[in-house]
Amino acid sequence: MTNTQHDAHLQKGRSMRKIKLSWLMTALLVALAMVVAGCGGDDKSENSGKKASPVAGGGDPGEGKPGGNITFLAAGDVDYLDPGQTYYTFGYMVHYAVNRTLYGFKPEDAETAIPDLAEGEPEISEDNKTVTVTVKPGVKYAPPVDREVTADDIKYAIERAFTANVPSGYATSYFAEIEGAPEKPGKYQEIPGIVVEGNKITFKLTKAVAPRLAAALVMPITTPVPKEYAEKFDKKSPSEYDQYVAFTGPYMVKNDAEGKVTGRQPGKKIEIIRNPNWDKATDFRPAFLDSITIEEGNDDLTVAARRTLAGQTLLCCDSGQPPIPILRRALQRNPDQLGRVAGGGTRWIALNTTQKPFDNLNVRKALIAGFDRNALRLTRGGEEVGSIAQHWIPPGIPGHEESGGDAGFTEFDWMQNPEGDPALAAKYMEAAGEEGVPVENGKYAGKDNILTIATNADPGLKTAQTAQTEFEKLGFKLNFRKVPQDTLYTKFCSVPKKEVPICPNVGWFKDFQDPESMLQPTFSGAAIKPAGNVNWSQLKVPEIDQAMLDAATIPLGDERNKAWAEINKQIVAQAPGIPYVWDDSISIASKDMKMVINGYYTSPDLSFTSVK
Amino acid sequence: MLAYIIRRLLWSVVLLLVVSLVIFLIFFILPTADPAELRAGRNPDPELVAAIEAQLGLNRPFYVQYFFFIRDIVTEFNFGRSYQNNVDVREEIFSRIPATASLALGAAFVWLVIGLLIGILSAVKRGTILDRLAMGAALVGISAPVYWLGLVSIYLFSNDIGRFPIFEPPGTYVAITEDPTQWLKSLLLPWLVLATAFAAVYARFMRSNLLEVMGEDYIRTGRAKGLKERAVVFRHGVRAAITPIVTIFGLDLGILLGGAILTESVFNIPGIGRTAFDAISKGDIPIVQGTVIIGATAIILLNLIVDIVYAFIDPRVRY
Repeated sequence: MTNTQHDAHLQKGRSMRKIKLSWLMTALLVALAMVVAGCGGDDKSENSGKKASPVAGGGDPGEGKPGGNITFLAAGDVDYLDPGQTYYTFGYMVHYAVNRTLYGFKPEDAETAIPDLAEGEPEISEDNKTVTVTVKPGVKYAPPVDREVTADDIKYAIERAFTANVPSGYATSYFAEIEGAPEKPGKYQEIPGIVVEGNKITFKLTKAVAPRLAAALVMPITTPVPKEYAEKFDKKSPSEYDQYVAFTGPYMVKNDAEGKVTGRQPGKKIEIIRNPNWDKATDFRPAFLDSITIEEGNDDLTVAARRTLAGQTLLCCDSGQPPIPILRRALQRNPDQLGRVAGGGTRWIALNTTQKPFDNLNVRKALIAGFDRNALRLTRGGEEVGSIAQHWIPPGIPGHEESGGDAGFTEFDWMQNPEGDPALAAKYMEAAGEEGVPVENGKYAGKDNILTIATNADPGLKTAQTAQTEFEKLGFKLNFRKVPQDTLYTKFCSVPKKEVPICPNVGWFKDFQDPESMLQPTFSGAAIKPAGNVNWSQLKVPEIDQAMLDAATIPLGDERNKAWAEINKQIVAQAPGIPYVWDDSISIASKDMKMVINGYYTSPDLSFTSVK
Repeated sequence: MLAYIIRRLLWSVVLLLVVSLVIFLIFFILPTADPAELRAGRNPDPELVAAIEAQLGLNRPFYVQYFFFIRDIVTEFNFGRSYQNNVDVREEIFSRIPATASLALGAAFVWLVIGLLIGILSAVKRGTILDRLAMGAALVGISAPVYWLGLVSIYLFSNDIGRFPIFEPPGTYVAITEDPTQWLKSLLLPWLVLATAFAAVYARFMRSNLLEVMGEDYIRTGRAKGLKERAVVFRHGVRAAITPIVTIFGLDLGILLGGAILTESVFNIPGIGRTAFDAISKGDIPIVQGTVIIGATAIILLNLIVDIVYAFIDPRVRY
């Protein structure tokens, strides 16, 4: 027997052993997985749904022990440090710790804006065309700028946000009516409608939309920017001010003598320290902590969340909620380590009203009636994360109660059974059949596969897959495509010419505490854009559009809330999508932390959080 | 030899050009996120998106963009600026090379030592319980995906949430220049995890190579001449059996120096792999191009080194 023959012989014998061995290995892997699965221990209680408060462990958010250094575990990075550009929740969390705006919110009251850099309430003229704010004296920039904030700095901050070098995501939405404001981003120019006299800044408007503009003065765009310092950075294309921010908040991101931000390493970490020029007497924030390090790149938030629950001086996570299994366990075993506020947003499945068969109102009603929306909510965490959405103004936003609160409008029968009503769905589908839609036995009978663009990552993917099952129950056949969430928006669902009939993973969260910011961008026909469109259903109803224009001029208060609630009702009547959850924002903290969540930007408020 | 090296280096340049062009084309053909819209925020005006496109040069034809990209690399060694956060791509990538190199080189050392030793022992002790146990363990190592193994290791051994708190938790990596002790402690678990699958493959590879070599005539001749078994195995057997392993080692190390995406993600090590992953998901072409070129360069150079090493370990090879 040659060596080769010998090996071949052995090989045969070995293959038998290999089979046995592979069974053994499989068993070993399974056993190991079971050990790991058991690492969290057994659930001691089935008592789910225990709600936490905005303050982890409860108590007065304004009280805390000074001092302490903490770490925030995050998966991603902030969008920008530049106050003219930041527009996402995680960016806001850092922004409101290191900067000050004209108005802000105490963490426990996200409905009442209070003066921050402003000395008092905004003065709105009777014709709703002028807003005047007085800027507080005594607020200084962090080094190296070191000088006092002036009203001119706020004027420059808003003007620069209209330039192409400082791409603000909302300047042309909420500040466009300022007299002389550029219609499109271009070179820097002074805006004549922003007038500064001493420490007073006045916004002169072309339309009577002062209430909305006053409400928007809480946004980061009103953070002062010192022109003489920032101008040279803003001349770069794009602006480099993001790397040289002049901070005004109780904290600042570490910088050097030239103002270069050295404490931010994109994708790695952000080091936040005390601002030596901050004067507590001028601020409503207590700023207990000495330093905060944001550790980024924790791609597996399950690990980060577990580390937080088990560790010390840690906060987590930047995703709105910790991973669902961790959240469920924490609700039962560590409720004092959870902080929770209304998310201020709605998630829904967008039905493109310009595409067949969703251009038929009865088809859309049939879908909402037949869908098990509770099953959709379960994919985001179920009852524990929030109520089933019944309309488009979420809890915590003015106009919600006027819209029937969590129960919604009772006159629309297709909204009444969140677990699905097959008989009612069949009734509406038959009605659609009479209008020419292919229907058989109360179900859709069209032959085409309907393009559906879904996200490729959980929990959104699970939502989309559940939606697919629901669509199929009602007779729809889907051409189901999965893409990353950013691609979903920028290449498909937000581009009308792509004509995507179903987008199962859309959602909209508040910009500020006003129902207009929830309904206008998402359901106004005038808001439909060739790219970056967020009216995903492409709803275009002239009566609704006119009602929005009228309601925009109504001053803040009951009348305005009722007007927007009425618009909300008109939108629900159009059944432009299948709303399924108003989810809360939930963060977790280590046992030794008193974490406070701010209801406005729905993330930990680093200026109120403390170490116990 | 020198002519050969120069020829290979020139071909490397051509290869890098082709690789970078392919990446560029992929981003234009496949639906990826639009960087201008991502920069513009969640409800941008079309004019704003257009302005950002102009700012980033995205409104030019792709071949013009590609030309400028290559020109800047050749003339200034400038990889451009990230679409996402406007940082200098070269600085960003170079700041991450030490983390990736630390992970890859340390893991390579671990898997070479463990893999080769087990392979040699298994071959020498073929058919024994030691051989069976070693090859069984190797099978487990190959079967366990690195992402899963990383998470399991964290849940078992991390000193904050682990059942047996031995190793540093994820996210504790620091540069060797900052704190050498912490650097070592933070990388021990990632090295072991990353090295597991490689060690297993190398052990099986070494074993089968050595078994084949040990059946060759010259081995029998050596034994007949009265050489000690240790000399037969190491001087004549292992030297011949290791040649193909050098080849795959060069490739493996090159790939890892281009970024060990999964291990870097699980253990939150700020290396090139994680940067590339984030950049791909955000359509940040300059960062993707930079990481791909660095990765491809690592693979090409290590292959060249391997080919040169061949000449020393295998007398039959001449250039």
